[in-house]
Amino acid sequence: MDPHPDLTASVIRGLGWFYLLMAAMNAFWTIRVFKTGTYYESVAGFKHIPKAAPWAIFTALLFMVGAVQVRFDSDPADFVLKLPVVFKDLVDVVIANPISYFALSMVIFVAMIWLRRWWTKPTVAWILLNFAMLFLCVSMTDYDFRQIVGKPDNVPIVGMLFLVGFFTWLYFSKSVENDRRIAAGEPKIEDEQSEQVLVWPDLVYTEMICMLLLTALLIAWGIALQAPLEEPASAVKTPNPSKAPWYFLGLQEMLVYYDPWMAGVVLPSVILVGLMAIPYIDFNPKGNGYYTFDERKFSIITFLFGFLPLWVGMIVLGTFIRGPNWNMFGPYEYWDVHKLEVLNNIDLSQMFWVDWLGKPLPKPDPNASFWMQAGTIILREWLGFALILGYLFLLPPLLAVTVFRKFFIKMGFLRFMVLANLILLMGALPLKMALRWAFTLKYIVSIPEWFFNI
Amino acid sequence: MADKKLTTEEILALARKGGVAPKPTAESPATEESVGASPSEAPAKPAAAKPSSTADILAAARAGGTSAAAPKASPAAKPGSTADILAAARAGKAGGAAAPAKPQTGGEGVKKAPVAAKSVGDRPSVADMVKAAREGAPTAVPAAKPKLPAKPVLPGKKAAEESTRRSFFAEAVTFVTEPFMAAWIAMGAIGAIWGLAVARFMMPNMIVEPPTKFKIGPESDYPPGTVSTKWKAERGIWVVNTDQYNGKQLIYALLSVCTHLGCTPNWLEGEQKFKCPCHGSGFYITGINFEGPAPRPLERVGIRVAPDGSLEVDKSVKFQEELGQWGDAASFVEMA
Repeated sequence: MDPHPDLTASVIRGLGWFYLLMAAMNAFWTIRVFKTGTYYESVAGFKHIPKAAPWAIFTALLFMVGAVQVRFDSDPADFVLKLPVVFKDLVDVVIANPISYFALSMVIFVAMIWLRRWWTKPTVAWILLNFAMLFLCVSMTDYDFRQIVGKPDNVPIVGMLFLVGFFTWLYFSKSVENDRRIAAGEPKIEDEQSEQVLVWPDLVYTEMICMLLLTALLIAWGIALQAPLEEPASAVKTPNPSKAPWYFLGLQEMLVYYDPWMAGVVLPSVILVGLMAIPYIDFNPKGNGYYTFDERKFSIITFLFGFLPLWVGMIVLGTFIRGPNWNMFGPYEYWDVHKLEVLNNIDLSQMFWVDWLGKPLPKPDPNASFWMQAGTIILREWLGFALILGYLFLLPPLLAVTVFRKFFIKMGFLRFMVLANLILLMGALPLKMALRWAFTLKYIVSIPEWFFNI
Repeated sequence: MADKKLTTEEILALARKGGVAPKPTAESPATEESVGASPSEAPAKPAAAKPSSTADILAAARAGGTSAAAPKASPAAKPGSTADILAAARAGKAGGAAAPAKPQTGGEGVKKAPVAAKSVGDRPSVADMVKAAREGAPTAVPAAKPKLPAKPVLPGKKAAEESTRRSFFAEAVTFVTEPFMAAWIAMGAIGAIWGLAVARFMMPNMIVEPPTKFKIGPESDYPPGTVSTKWKAERGIWVVNTDQYNGKQLIYALLSVCTHLGCTPNWLEGEQKFKCPCHGSGFYITGINFEGPAPRPLERVGIRVAPDGSLEVDKSVKFQEELGQWGDAASFVEMA
């Protein structure tokens, strides 16, 4: 018998409860839609169909599926509600490749902003939530997916992804509504609300209910999922893969592309200092105390780009996709320790001297004086130095006269330079990733003699 | 009679016997005069003695009703006990009503006074103090130093005096079980345990680092084209025998520390590479980095053939390829 069966009867029964939960959620949704009393004028010849009807059918379907699965006791091999292999293979190919993974995350990011008026509609958002839950549910029938998503470490991360989605939706739905009102000259949502809230009973009751629910959740969590303890630590045995805590997986992903000195010290410091600098850089007085997107497009897109694809996206990548030997694995792929990924990469100096000029790499003479060695090293790495210096010192003025012309005029020299450098440093991460994938470039400046690599 | 003080026990006994608050001692002049309801009469009392306690002053203050009268009235009042205070307080009810200042407060204070006085014995209750302060007698309060009633002779003490004929052992037990001594002994014991713990802390529970020089057996243990991982767990090195570095058959020892961030890579026999599980750095069998973020090759440590013919590794010296140190004869052993 297969030691890792895709499906067991208990998994199917567990998923049954999940479908029942979805049915309950959709039952509420059906009632909500029914209460609005809206109708389709004509559907396939039938007149005057309530809009709640399709939701009622969907709910009934979910209920039946859930009810059947909860009482499932025949052979799991006969179970049909699972993903087709073709789909799994396709997803694996797309996700396990860093280029398509990041391309996909960028597509989603752009679509999220582009289609914000559409996907923040309650019905659309509800359908998207249903899709996400169904996807999770159907994917759970796969053994490898279940292993990685169901790991006690990772379950809360799955929950947090739904939270990130919810809060992003909340922001966009409020700002879309506000932007519409501002354009129409109507008062904003916040203007219509009272600025004061009663502490007693409103706030205190809300806090108490939150406290009770959270305590209940923590107790259930503590009982259901065991703390993921591993074997005693050993200096010679590093777990494979060796993962940082989830909130550091973005940094760990950066370390794949940068020297520890850069990814571990410089870039995290820049992130922190840059976040602290936002109030000093952001000269836009709008959006203060109310939700808006149109009035501060640049700052919100910049922030969300740094947060969603570069931070959350890399946490997802590190949590679910990185496997043994830090290779990328699709969500339905077996974690094969011997998966072979060709990652040979070379430094820019190697490319320049060996590949383009056909000369050997200038090698510092170990017997020469320090300054002679330094000269040789800088000659070896001159192209990388030139690129880095140009990136950090030539691009900002260039941006000031082209793309960011208006910003430069409004902000003044100092604030603009800080902004430009922060944006360039943020952009350095995806740029370096793209260079690694496209040209197998390891380091732009590579001076292992001095532990200095960029 | 007025000089005589009563202990709490005596007061209680009296209270049980008589059942009425005013006691023989409580028949103080203050009571009668206050009933006369004339605050101005208070100063007229002869100052027989100093006020004996805050309680006295407070009682007098109540009886007097005005701050001016209080200090002078108290010497005359001279109540020695709770009963006196109570009596005075009751008397003050009338006086308070007559007094121009805050008659309401006075009435309340009187109602509370008996309860509070009962609970605290012969000291004034907080309510009393507050009331006195409200009525403007703060100057009197700090001046008065409460004199504690004479300590009753406890039966235990008497027993101790009589026990001169008891054995040394019994003496010792009595001495040790006295709460004061027991506390000192407990503290001493805890201090001693703590001292032992500190002493133990000076000898940490650590593993002594193995010597940096150690023998790893003859060359024949490491056949050509292999990576031996048998010293990895214990000493953190791989012993490699290969001809891929410069065409010569070399035996060398690589430190099993990734040059990227210091994780321990694994030797993958099938792929013929060292692969780090943390960020995916890969190294050839020669130790040269070729994939992932590792910026430089793995480090070699010293190796030589010891006089007895076995290989000896010296981890105290390191050889880095990027510094041109792999040419050093101490970093490898060439097979014959």
